[in-house]
Amino acid sequence: MLLSLEQVTRLYGIVIGVNDVTLTLPEGAHGILGPNGAGKSTLLNLITGQLRPSKGKLTVLGHSPRDPALLRRLGYLPGSEGMYADVSAIEWVTYLTQLQGFRASDARQRACRAMERVQLADVQDRKISTFSRGMRQRTRLAQAIAHEPELLILDEAFSGLDPIARHTMTTLLQQWIAEGRSLLIASHVLHEIESLTRSFLLISGGRLLASGSTEEISRLLTSVPATVELTLNEPRKLAAQLVASGLIDSVRVEADRLHATTGSGRELAQFLAEQSVNGALEIFEVRSSDDSLQDVFHSLMKLHRGIA
Amino acid sequence: MNATLIERIVAVFQFEWRRALTWPRMTWMATLALFPPALLLLMRWTAGSFEIPWQGAAIAIFALAPSIACIMAVFLWATPSISSELEGRSWVYLAVRPDGPVAVLLGKYLAAVTWALPVGLIASTLSTLVLVREQVLRMLVVQNSLAILSCIAYAAVFLLIGVIVPKRAMVVGIIYGILFEAAASTIPAAINLITIQHRLRCLLVRGLGFDESMAEDNVVFQAYFGQGSLLWHTGILLAMTLAFLVIAVAILRWREFTTASETDT
Repeated sequence: MLLSLEQVTRLYGIVIGVNDVTLTLPEGAHGILGPNGAGKSTLLNLITGQLRPSKGKLTVLGHSPRDPALLRRLGYLPGSEGMYADVSAIEWVTYLTQLQGFRASDARQRACRAMERVQLADVQDRKISTFSRGMRQRTRLAQAIAHEPELLILDEAFSGLDPIARHTMTTLLQQWIAEGRSLLIASHVLHEIESLTRSFLLISGGRLLASGSTEEISRLLTSVPATVELTLNEPRKLAAQLVASGLIDSVRVEADRLHATTGSGRELAQFLAEQSVNGALEIFEVRSSDDSLQDVFHSLMKLHRGIA
Repeated sequence: MNATLIERIVAVFQFEWRRALTWPRMTWMATLALFPPALLLLMRWTAGSFEIPWQGAAIAIFALAPSIACIMAVFLWATPSISSELEGRSWVYLAVRPDGPVAVLLGKYLAAVTWALPVGLIASTLSTLVLVREQVLRMLVVQNSLAILSCIAYAAVFLLIGVIVPKRAMVVGIIYGILFEAAASTIPAAINLITIQHRLRCLLVRGLGFDESMAEDNVVFQAYFGQGSLLWHTGILLAMTLAFLVIAVAILRWREFTTASETDT
């Protein structure tokens, strides 16, 4: 078992960082998704032992966090940079690998291999202060993988990267997963994680809203009211048909646009497709406001609070 | 993967030394080492033909070299050990290593002591050579020994302060220095027994034989310099150092040191 949380709560005074989270994750790659302030970093801080739960129990790879035996098997790329600007990249990675428990020469070799892996071997002797954001991020990844951990934990690993650096990072992580190692990656951007794993944890407000594959979460969302916006030739006619079909909860027509809310997204999509194929309606555009991750969270929060 | 904790402490020590070898830092340390002999040279020049008493010279050297120079050197090194990592947000990389915080703390302690030692030794030696004309060797041995003990003990106490109050370490360090080491250590009561300065003064008077010229039952002497041998006071000082380090390690193991920016709630 990669991770096990039993009713884990973390409080900062009266502010809740993580709220009563219970989950188990098998080994493999998993994404932790949530908007800024959702509690992702708090969760990662709990997993890496930097914070203790105010309540509940947590084990990682069968160990309690802070257990040196666990820390030997874990690599972590935190959300904040925090690198020493006045040392070379290889010196920094070697130092951290030594702290991981390797002797100087072994640590140096491992650090060199990690720098090669993140494609920075040719500039590894340069001071970190001369590196671009992408190079610094890859150096940070090098320190997390130099000791070849079983579990790699990344917090906003793609933050601030340009498209090329993003692609490099994605390729690296895909290789990592392909080698059969475990990965936990936190992000607030869905597509960053989608290319790495199909297993997600969605958190917001410190709560675990949903977990599972993309398909499982999509299925969950079809039961949540979604807003659909259509641009078509006869909006009033379609509005009447939709009301008659009982597929929508509310409808509003504005010129050539129709706005509808529905709790039966799948059936509505099928109905629209049939109408379009029959030639009864000419639909120019279909837009769902629930495409973005933020809206997914919004919908799930409503579901969670029993508003939906 | 079989480096022991001691090897990891040495790794931190070496890394910190390499990082610290910069001209600004070396200039600052050289200034600290040279200001006591410079001041005493000025004092000697001002005194002219007047011979400065041996005991007076000993106290002046002690106040400037093993005390002020050593305290300043370790204060600047040891106190911000943890806060600099927290402020630079580099702590998290160290905290997720097996026994990383402990290795970092003790490695930084060794670096602080070994950086401050040359300051204390140079200051004590030059000050003695500038001011003392008789029993020079004895004065050199005593003042340099006190400089070594001073660096070892003060580095531990400032490191502990840095662990207890990392966000206000420097301010609290200064307050501690003034209230305890400067003021409380001179109060002839139980409180001065827990100060490093009191132990160093006890060692000074015994090392230089000031006590030989005074009756052991002299009330004033006992009030300021207590009882006990050289070995006793050295033992107490080393025990205090060990206690400070053990407490610092215990706090570090128990405490959470994440910064607000690292938690997105």
